[in-house]
Amino acid sequence: MDDLSKSSMKFFSDQQLCFADILLPHEVQVRIQVTVLNFLNILSSPDPAISDLPLINRKSSNSRVSEGILTDVSWIFLSHSFCSRSLMKANATKAFIRVWKVMEMCFEILIQDKRVTQRELFYKLLCDSPHYFSSQLQVNRTIQDVVALLRCSRYSLGIMASSKGLVAGRILLQEPNQEAVDCSACGSSGYAISGDLNLLESLVMKTDARYIVVVEKVHAIFQRLAEDNVFNQIPSILLTAKGYPDIATRFLLHRMSRAFPDLPILALVDWYGSATRTKDLFFQLSHSSISKNPAGLAILSTYKFGSIGMGLEAYRYACNVKWLGLRGDDLQLIPQQSLAPLKPRDLQIARSLISSRILQDNYRQELAVMMQSGQRAEIEALYSNGYDFLVKYLAKKIVQANYI
Amino acid sequence: MEGIRSSTRSRDLLRKIKEFTLSILEALSEGRSPLIFIQSFRTYCTNLDSICSCRSNKPSGHEILTFQKESHVHRIDVLLRVLLIVQQLLQENKHASKRDIYYMHPLIFSDQSVVDRAINDICILLQCSRHNLNVVSVGNGLVMGWLRFFEAGRKFDCINSPNTAHTIPVLVEDVKDLSFRWLPHADLVSAALYILVVEKESVFQRLENDKFCSKNRCIVITGRGYPGVPTRRFLRLLMDKLSLPVYCLVDCDPYGFDILATYRFGSMQMAYDAKFLRVPQIQWLGAFPSDSENYDLPKQCLLPLTIEDKRKTEAMLQRCYLHQEVPDWRSELELMLQRGTKFEIEALSVHSLSFLSEVYIPSKIQEIKSICQV
Repeated sequence: MDDLSKSSMKFFSDQQLCFADILLPHEVQVRIQVTVLNFLNILSSPDPAISDLPLINRKSSNSRVSEGILTDVSWIFLSHSFCSRSLMKANATKAFIRVWKVMEMCFEILIQDKRVTQRELFYKLLCDSPHYFSSQLQVNRTIQDVVALLRCSRYSLGIMASSKGLVAGRILLQEPNQEAVDCSACGSSGYAISGDLNLLESLVMKTDARYIVVVEKVHAIFQRLAEDNVFNQIPSILLTAKGYPDIATRFLLHRMSRAFPDLPILALVDWYGSATRTKDLFFQLSHSSISKNPAGLAILSTYKFGSIGMGLEAYRYACNVKWLGLRGDDLQLIPQQSLAPLKPRDLQIARSLISSRILQDNYRQELAVMMQSGQRAEIEALYSNGYDFLVKYLAKKIVQANYI
Repeated sequence: MEGIRSSTRSRDLLRKIKEFTLSILEALSEGRSPLIFIQSFRTYCTNLDSICSCRSNKPSGHEILTFQKESHVHRIDVLLRVLLIVQQLLQENKHASKRDIYYMHPLIFSDQSVVDRAINDICILLQCSRHNLNVVSVGNGLVMGWLRFFEAGRKFDCINSPNTAHTIPVLVEDVKDLSFRWLPHADLVSAALYILVVEKESVFQRLENDKFCSKNRCIVITGRGYPGVPTRRFLRLLMDKLSLPVYCLVDCDPYGFDILATYRFGSMQMAYDAKFLRVPQIQWLGAFPSDSENYDLPKQCLLPLTIEDKRKTEAMLQRCYLHQEVPDWRSELELMLQRGTKFEIEALSVHSLSFLSEVYIPSKIQEIKSICQV
């Protein structure tokens, strides 16, 4: 893109932004009814036609990057390019019907003032319309179609999602009419982040922490830090989503960053980890991302910028996350025996991350160093220096403000 | 559970570690290979010809590790290295996960399973449980309902929110003041009537969304699949302290059944510790193959058993406890294999989302109760 269109893009970026609203049940019901009415209107007009359903295009060609002008936050978002589901396209008629079926089902569920899991929805659709639905994947894709059509979040449609997120540290969380939970006294298992976004929205938060530390892995890192009470030595809040962050965790982190804007958010991720996906992690279309050990930097980027995979909902929860470690200068702390050679997939991911336009220059440099060294390491490798080393490492880096 | 005595326990173990090491040194100084005698345990066997003693908590055999066998050398090397790490943990009163231990020497250990076996061997040698070695697992379970306890200063209280899920504590030692009675006023006593264990998180979520615990006085637990050690220990703690009936709700498929069996009989991996981890009183609430007729399950929800499923089911049918302890479980499993179909709990919500909470679970519990009364 040349400079002129880039700058005019920045100026109009918000107009370009397409996003999913978080709506109340009756608001979603209204949007569904409007969709139906529109369709009927055109069908019963003097020049009748079966209209197509316009969906926000979820391909990378419709993704844009908004670079923060007044803030440090950049994000990925989807713009107004449409694709459509049409009854008129021979091999796409079922996809068209599926969208209506899911809307109908969600409407019924919302009327009952209930929620469903994606699996329950699958079974209901399987029994209600066996000709149209045969797999969970189909159901998930159709749900994304409905999100792209009605431009409301998946959660607003009444679909429950679980969260794998945990919080520990110097923060008090209080649900309405409940006692406040002190997350520094939650043991090493932490406070479980609910999948209910309404509940997360209503939490009252109080903290005296100075940092928020986002950790990739629960096993060795989050639990260890919580057990060692790191947040009392360095006044902080610990957060993890057990790998790739789900919407609820990102939502809560975003709320924290808004409520406590002075707290830097620092990420501690593996130096690569072992990737399980070959596709470019920024531009994948499947919504649920449950892989064992995706590349650490890709996880950080999801917290930071969002991802196309989260489509219309992504942009909302981008946070200014800084990369604490593991980085190039940490290699010297790790003994040779704990380093493993880079796998071909790691290089693939690195290459696509480097070429991504949203990545800042110093990250690109770090990546280049990594690729050159040809090695990878997991955070636990730091334990070879002793169990309390992780806390010392964290403290030193924070005090030296050694994060980018 | 061992709370106050944990420091004596640690001293005991440290002494045993010293003694063990000394015995090896003695053998070496006398120019012979040390013989490391490790008992083997199992939770079931497939020898159906005779009555076995798998449930007696006795070892089923033993192996002898020696330097004279080449295949044992690496295993002894790993064992000693892990033992050294465990000794450090006990001396410094720190905890570590199995993964942490792996990372101390990843190139020598080469794989997590090697470390896991060494930890099991050490537990058998020192005659203790894994948590006594200060080796902890990742917590993965959730609990909600009519329960009150303290964990490391945090109070888990159902008083205002029986429908709030909490993570199951990782260190069961930290659980104090367990109580399932609620006395909001002096003259009112409410108590949990049973414990419901569900296989999947999604079913737990369904019950949460339905506010199941507001309408039913119970405790609901999920291990999110195969239960981890903290979940099993927590459930065992609840059983030991509260003595409530325990019901298990799993999918009607081979994996659901295996999870049920893990809760009831223990896992092979942790067989040496099964007597502390299993819950023999757990009852199979559902789902049964026969439920598909009794509860009008639409045919589309019955998925076919895959070849893997069939293989697994056939293997499970060979387990001794299905012939000795729970023959009624065996007939259900055989029926599943015969029909060649399986279904998930979520399929029961097809007609009505509240079906599970309002109809299925209460009627199943009623069924079990009436059988017990006969």
